Amino acid sequence: MSNPYTDMAKTELAFCIGTNMTECHPVAATFLKKAIARGAKLIVADPRRIRLAEMADLYLPLRVGSDVALLLGMAHVIAREGLVDQAFMAARTTGGAAFLEHVQQFTPEWAAEITGVPAQDIETAAIWYGSANAAAIYYTLGITEHICGVDNVQSLCNLALMTGNLGVEGGGINPMRGQNNIQGAGDAGAIPNSYAGFQPVDIPENQAKFEALYGRPLDSERGMTKVSALEQAGESIFAMLIDGENTLVSDPDRTHGEHALKSLDHLVVIDIFLTETAALAHVVLPATAWAETDGHFTNSERRIQRVRRAVTPPGEAKPDWWIVSALATRLGFAGFAYDSPKEVFNELCRVSPIYAGIDWGMAEKGEYQWPIPYKGHPGTPRLHEDEFINGRGIFRVINYRDPAEVVDAAYPVWLTTGRRLQTYHTRTQTGRAQGIEYFVPEEVLEVHPDNVAAWGLQDGGWATMRSRRGSIRIKVKATERSPRGTVFASFAFNETPVNILTGSGYDPITQTAELKVCPVRVEAYEEVAGPA
Amino acid sequence: MSTQPSINEIPLQNAGIQKTRSVCGYCGVGCSLDILTKDDRIIGIQPAMDGPSNKGALCVKGQFAYDYVHHPDRLTQPLVRRADGQLHPTTWDEALDVAAQGFQRAVDQHGRHAVYGIASGRTPSEANYAMQKFMRAGFGTNHIDNCSRA
Ligand code: SF4
Repeated sequence: MSNPYTDMAKTELAFCIGTNMTECHPVAATFLKKAIARGAKLIVADPRRIRLAEMADLYLPLRVGSDVALLLGMAHVIAREGLVDQAFMAARTTGGAAFLEHVQQFTPEWAAEITGVPAQDIETAAIWYGSANAAAIYYTLGITEHICGVDNVQSLCNLALMTGNLGVEGGGINPMRGQNNIQGAGDAGAIPNSYAGFQPVDIPENQAKFEALYGRPLDSERGMTKVSALEQAGESIFAMLIDGENTLVSDPDRTHGEHALKSLDHLVVIDIFLTETAALAHVVLPATAWAETDGHFTNSERRIQRVRRAVTPPGEAKPDWWIVSALATRLGFAGFAYDSPKEVFNELCRVSPIYAGIDWGMAEKGEYQWPIPYKGHPGTPRLHEDEFINGRGIFRVINYRDPAEVVDAAYPVWLTTGRRLQTYHTRTQTGRAQGIEYFVPEEVLEVHPDNVAAWGLQDGGWATMRSRRGSIRIKVKATERSPRGTVFASFAFNETPVNILTGSGYDPITQTAELKVCPVRVEAYEEVAGPA
Repeated sequence: MSTQPSINEIPLQNAGIQKTRSVCGYCGVGCSLDILTKDDRIIGIQPAMDGPSNKGALCVKGQFAYDYVHHPDRLTQPLVRRADGQLHPTTWDEALDVAAQGFQRAVDQHGRHAVYGIASGRTPSEANYAMQKFMRAGFGTNHIDNCSRA
C-alpha cells in the first residue's frame, strides 16, 4: 500500500474495487467505517452485491472481468469534466498527454455497454473521485487474479496520477495483501526478478554486488515464475523445494498442478501438516508454526513487525530458516552457518537498501515502515510524498481485452471465485481450528434466486457445474448477492475442488492465474442409481 | 520483563498465564496481539490496544483460529518415501541427506536451472530470505518464487 492503514480513516472518498474487504480484511474495513462516519463517500465496484456494497454511497455492479473498461470510462469523464490535476501531472508524471488523448474515445456509454453499469453511475463515480481532495483506491485479488491483472492495476495508477491522488494523506493506491507475509516474501527476495530489497537481478551493479556478497557467479537473467515452473515440471525442472504452501489445492486447474508435481524427479516439502501437496513429496520436513518461532512479518502497509515464539514446537519440528540452512549446508553451500533468526534478519537488512536503517531489535514494536534508507531515518509511512521511487509517475496506455474465456452457448454462466471470512486459503490451518469450521461446514454455490428457478435447481439441493476443464458437484444456495447469470464459489475446500474448473489463462506479465472468471454450465445433479 | 507489570497483568501472572506480544498470522493487515499461554499451550488471544496497524481490533480469524497449532495432525518428524512407495518417519539426519541427494542429482544431470524453490507468504521473512539465498547463492539460479501468484 502506498499509504498507512491509519490514513483510511482520513480519506474523503474511498473507491473500493474488487475487494471483499469486510470479509477478507475486516479490521481494515473498521477504519473505513470510521471515515464513513466522518462523512467520507464510498464507491464500491464489484460483480457481487457484497456486504461492502450495502455500505456504499454508489455501487457499480460490473460484469466480471470488465474492470479496465470501467476505469477507462472514468478516466474519460475526469478528463472531459476538467478534473485533471494539471500541476501534478506536469511536475511529477510522464506520458500524460498520450494518455489523455487515448481516453477521449472511451465514453461512459461505451463502458456501460461492456460493464453493464449505467453510464450515469460511471459519470458520478468519476466526478466524485476526480473532485475529492483526498481520494483513496483499495483493491485486492479481485483486481489482480485476472488475465489482465497488470492492466487493471495500471488503470488504477492512471486514475490516481491524473488526479494527483498519490503522496497525499488519505489518498493513494492501496492493494490489500491476502497472506500475512506476502509483502515480506517479496522484500526478502523470494521472487524471480529481484534480490532482497527489490534490487532487480538484471541490473549489472546488483549482480556484481550479490556475486561479491554470496561469493559465486550469479545469473543476470530473471528466473521462471512459479506458474512456468509447474508447466516445466519434468521438462526442464526436475527438483523442487516447496515451503509451507498447499500448491495443489490453491492453484487453479488443479488436475494440472497434481500432474506437474508428480512429474518431478524430486520434491521436498516443508510444512506443518501433511497437506495434499506434501503427500506427493519424496521428503517432508516438519516446520514450526506461527507462535512457535521468532522472526518478522511485513504487512500490507510495509510495516516490519516482530513475531515471537510463545510455545514449544511439537516433536522435532524446526523453524523454516533452520531447515533451509541445514539443507544448504548438506549440499556444501557456504554462508548458511546461521545460529539464530537474528543473524538471518541482520543479513537481510545489510543487503537491502530499503531495510538499511534497522536491524534485529529495532522493530520490536512495529515502529518502521520501509523504506528506511539509513540508521536514524524514521521510516516511510506514505510513499511518493515528494517524488516517486523511480523518478516520475508513468502513464500507460491500456486497452480493454475480453477475459481468456467468455460465456457461450455451451458454458453460458460466469463463475467467479474468492474466499470467505472464516476460511483461509486451503483450510490447512483454519480447517483444523474447531471454532472456525463451525461457521462454514461445507462449500456452496451462490446463485441468484431467479436463476435457481430457471435452471431447475433447488435452494439447498445439489448441482453439477461444468467448465471446459472438468465438473464438480456442489450445493446450491439461492442469494441476491449473486447477480443473474453469475455464480460464486470459494476455493477453500478440498472436498469441493472448485479449482478443477478454473485456470483458463494467465496474466502475460505476472502470470497470476485467472482464478476469478470462468465460464461454466450449471445443472441440477441427477442421482444415478448405483449397482445394488 | 524489564517493565513493571500493570495492574491488570498481575492476576494473569498469578494464574500462571503468560502473555507474548506477536502479530496475527492470517492476513496482510498484520494486527498486533498478545498470545496467552499456560503450561506451554495457547489458551487465548488478546488484541493489542497499542498495535500500530489495528489499534485494538481483531477479526474472528485472529481472535479464534489458533487451535491448529496444537492439532494432533501436526508433523513431528521428518518423512521419507521408501521402496514401498510410502512415506515413513525418519531422523533429520537421513531426511536432510535424501533431500540433498535429490537436488544434487538434478543439478548433475540437468544443470543448475533444473531446480526450483517456492517460498511461503505465511512464514517469516527470515525463512523467505533463506529460501532465495538457497536458490541464488547455493545453486546460482533465480528460480525462486512465492505463493502470491495465486
Ligand atoms: S486479526 Fe483478522 S484482520 Fe487482523 S491480521 Fe488477523 S486476519 Fe487480518
